[in-house]
Amino acid sequence: MSYFLQLVFSGIVVGSIYALAAIGFVLIYKSSRVLNLAHGQIIATGAYITYVLTVWMGVPIYISFVMSMIVTFFLAMSVERIFLRRLIGEPIISVIMVTIGLMSIIDGLIYLTPFGSENFSFPPFLPREPIILWGTYLSYTQVTGVVITFILIGAFSWFFKKSTVGISMRAVSDDQMASMSIGISVPKVFGLAWATAGLTAAAAGGILGNITGLNFDTLHAFGILVFPVVILGGLDSLLGAVVAGILMGLIQQFAGGYLDGNWGLNGTGQVLPYILLLVLLLFKPHGLFGTYEIERV
Amino acid sequence: MSANRWLATGNYFTTYREEQRIFFTHIDRLLFAAFLTALFAWPFFFQASSKYMLIFDNILVAVIAVLGLNLVTGFGGLISVGHAAFVGVGAYTVACLAQIIGDQHVLITHAWPLMIVAGGLTGAVFGLIVGLPALRLRHLYLLMATLSFQMIFQWVVGFMDFFNQGQFIYVGRVYWFTGEVGRSVHYNFWYYALLITVVILGFGVRNLLRTRYGRSLVAVRDNDRAADAMGMHPGFTKVSAFGLAGFFAGVAGAMQAYLNRGAGFETFTLHESIQYLAMTIVGGLGSLPGTFFGPAAIKMLDLQMENLAEWAGHLLPSSLDLATGLRPLSFGLVIVLFLMFEPRGIANWWRILRSYVKLWPFRY
Amino acid sequence: MKTKKISIGIIVSVVVLMLAMPVSAVAEEYMIGLSLAITGPTSDAGNPYAKGVEDYFRYANDMKLLGKDTIKYEIRDDKYETAITKRNFEEYLDMGMVFYLNYSTGSTLALKRDFEEVKMPTLPASYHAGNIEDSDYVFLPIASYSAQAIGLAEYLVANHDGKTPKVAMYVHPSAFGRGPVEDVKATVKAGLDMEIVEVVEHGKDLDVTGMLQRWKSKGVQYVISQTVQSPVATLLKGASRMDLVAGSFGEKGKITFMGAHYTGGNDLIALAGKAAENFYWTTSFITTSEESYAADTQIALAERYNRDDKTANSHNYAAGIIVAEVATEVIQRAKARGEEVNKKTLYQELLAMNGMNAFYSGTAVGPVTYSKDDHQGVDTLQLYAVQNGEFRAVGKPFIPEYTDKIK
Repeated sequence: MSYFLQLVFSGIVVGSIYALAAIGFVLIYKSSRVLNLAHGQIIATGAYITYVLTVWMGVPIYISFVMSMIVTFFLAMSVERIFLRRLIGEPIISVIMVTIGLMSIIDGLIYLTPFGSENFSFPPFLPREPIILWGTYLSYTQVTGVVITFILIGAFSWFFKKSTVGISMRAVSDDQMASMSIGISVPKVFGLAWATAGLTAAAAGGILGNITGLNFDTLHAFGILVFPVVILGGLDSLLGAVVAGILMGLIQQFAGGYLDGNWGLNGTGQVLPYILLLVLLLFKPHGLFGTYEIERV
Repeated sequence: MSANRWLATGNYFTTYREEQRIFFTHIDRLLFAAFLTALFAWPFFFQASSKYMLIFDNILVAVIAVLGLNLVTGFGGLISVGHAAFVGVGAYTVACLAQIIGDQHVLITHAWPLMIVAGGLTGAVFGLIVGLPALRLRHLYLLMATLSFQMIFQWVVGFMDFFNQGQFIYVGRVYWFTGEVGRSVHYNFWYYALLITVVILGFGVRNLLRTRYGRSLVAVRDNDRAADAMGMHPGFTKVSAFGLAGFFAGVAGAMQAYLNRGAGFETFTLHESIQYLAMTIVGGLGSLPGTFFGPAAIKMLDLQMENLAEWAGHLLPSSLDLATGLRPLSFGLVIVLFLMFEPRGIANWWRILRSYVKLWPFRY
Repeated sequence: MKTKKISIGIIVSVVVLMLAMPVSAVAEEYMIGLSLAITGPTSDAGNPYAKGVEDYFRYANDMKLLGKDTIKYEIRDDKYETAITKRNFEEYLDMGMVFYLNYSTGSTLALKRDFEEVKMPTLPASYHAGNIEDSDYVFLPIASYSAQAIGLAEYLVANHDGKTPKVAMYVHPSAFGRGPVEDVKATVKAGLDMEIVEVVEHGKDLDVTGMLQRWKSKGVQYVISQTVQSPVATLLKGASRMDLVAGSFGEKGKITFMGAHYTGGNDLIALAGKAAENFYWTTSFITTSEESYAADTQIALAERYNRDDKTANSHNYAAGIIVAEVATEVIQRAKARGEEVNKKTLYQELLAMNGMNAFYSGTAVGPVTYSKDDHQGVDTLQLYAVQNGEFRAVGKPFIPEYTDKIK
């Protein structure tokens, strides 16, 4: 029983990191209908900026965490301004290809720094003892991850429902022409969407970097895992991203816990998200919480 | 047609048939024939090093793969991020057969054209299967579906013993009428084999675009509901586009397996898929000359970056890691700059050049 | 017209770049090529490796170890892509290479037949046992991963207190990781008294607590890992949170973690922190954390060429040095015999490197020995354990017995 419970809790904590990564993705899609394939790279950049601030500049980790979120906020905004502003109105494939190009550019930039080819690790700042909950083990880092995720979710939900800027972002995602006609600056909203995505990406990167250590290969592969999560949740639903993230974490843990080792299987946790993605796309492409768009031929 | 069939500048078409011609003037045809002869003849005059022959061979393999990708993404408007998986299917068809019946078996070494076609057909089947989601999905969702196929392919190849768990599977050297194709002539031989395949398939695609099917593909891309209303079958068109792309990719993969004398898992990753997509875009989405420019441009860029890194390495020995970060950087920059400033790719430059030359010395 | 100008500009710059090649010197130059992943996957190992090779060759040239002659070394980045490695290999061949240094498992396997055909002696950085199967020309610098895993297995059986020890294996999901699994299983069949409970191929798992609990419930006492450092660090951190890491070797009720060459090194300590305490690592290289003349030499070499501390103390730097040393050594021997230096003679020198002619490199714990049947260089392994944040040698260097028995 405690094995099962352990898998559940591990799934939830891992899943909230996925959720955190997915939120940024959904934010960009929600406002501008752009699939940001470079999100994994932005997460990695956020992680490295946190590291630089903490270790090379000696800023206490709590502050550097927030600072890196702010820095990535502006970085992502400038990325949008420089590269994507020109592409408003172009066919969707061009925009996606630009984000693919961005992926390579950020990769290259990271390789120019020592981060690309060396391993780093954050100095430990949380107690190393585990938290024991009904026979399951959790680490402080993981719990912090969950807490930060939910704080950010709460903040964004409030932001989108109550604040003017948030509402204008939702308006733009609904209908660009109509929003323009009431005076909302659509390009500004796009920039803001990317910027907030950068914020969450930095948070995700910081937590991820704490758990796995700063190895570019590992951080790299994380970006692709975001897709099954956002499709499961629905491309334009924040709540969906959270629920789907946690679900995906649970699925991976259960696959690893119960499927691996039987019938000669191994590593099923890696492929199951994609099989799930495929099945979803065939039967329910809008995911659990996405808006229902009839896209049939 | 104008009276002068050789030097007609401008547009003199009076029937649809004339407009469908591939070569508009006799000079066009002549120049093209000369170009083709030059492509076939130059190895006899200039002895290129193995490295460059290998690069040309790789470019030609990429051209074949991109022919397929351009068909489905450029002309069909169906985004596919799993193209390397199709290429992998073709390569693994040959390699797995080699694993089962032995890699020096007669089928592999003597009947290799058959094997290549077999690779293409397997790729086509796989493409048809992957194309089925295209019946229900559009744009982003189709991209995700193809992405998931790519990842599943990667996992399956890495995991199953049938594929040697991703390790390299060997394929023997082939035999031609004059005996075994040995090491010294290997790259030259495959250059010709690939060139002939490229020419055949290139003409095939060009003609395909002239037929009813080709036009319906473009119509479906532009507006599939209108196409449906006009009596075309968008679903059939889309799925068969994937099948065709799969065929081309399978042929490319099989030839690549023979060229590299084997198939290994690392050559068919997501990174490769993205490279094919980049080649298509940089060359020019939806244009046939683009499929030749794209792979050449991207591979040559990679090569020049390498030379640049080496040159910089001679100047400042410890800057080796600095300079090699430039390769992904330049790759990404090229894609982004093309998309921002020249979305129609190199083919657009070619088109401008051609129309200028065609009308010269007149301005319009 | 702009396009014409641009294309002419491109052609001109291409020609200029191509012509910027160095002119060859008057004395003999022996060309040695290295193609590895300086960027891309596993570049955290490739980067110091490249520096090790480069520094040693520069040292050999500066110290005129070959008299008037110099080694012209060419180091290229192949980003772990086999197609680029193949291209580099072909180019090196055209440049008249006499000795080849390779890196990744995938490309070594892919090019194995090419090495046979052109008869080029090759030293890869991948110690995968499959590299030397059906190959006369590939030589592993040190013992293969299989030998290392078997060495670990033998050690734990010999030092285990109690009945048959239960062992789990934690491997990388690729040929690199799976290679030793078969060989360890064969060792158990050949009589080693050990039980393999589970073989887990890890993914990009963020949380391994479930797996560790399962192992605990199955009574696993030892874990042999064959992967890279990052997953092992995650494993160790998870285990230490659950208080599962053995404080001493084979401590009851806990799990002792062990790993082969690429699992360890200072990077592991950097990534796992305190959780790496009592991790047992085996490799054929010395570590700079143990005082020795060899360690001083390694650091001195790094300082000579202004390498940072991390590189100087990296086991990948040592790995790079050894392959460069072996290459230089065979050239020296061929010259001493008065023979022409080409790939044929160098190959013969490699085959003769045994018995009295074994080569003692500073960076390894034993001599480099090659013969017609023995394509693993340094057969000796050393066991290290992390104590107080540094690797300390445990016991004397040893050679695993079962590697011969399972052939």
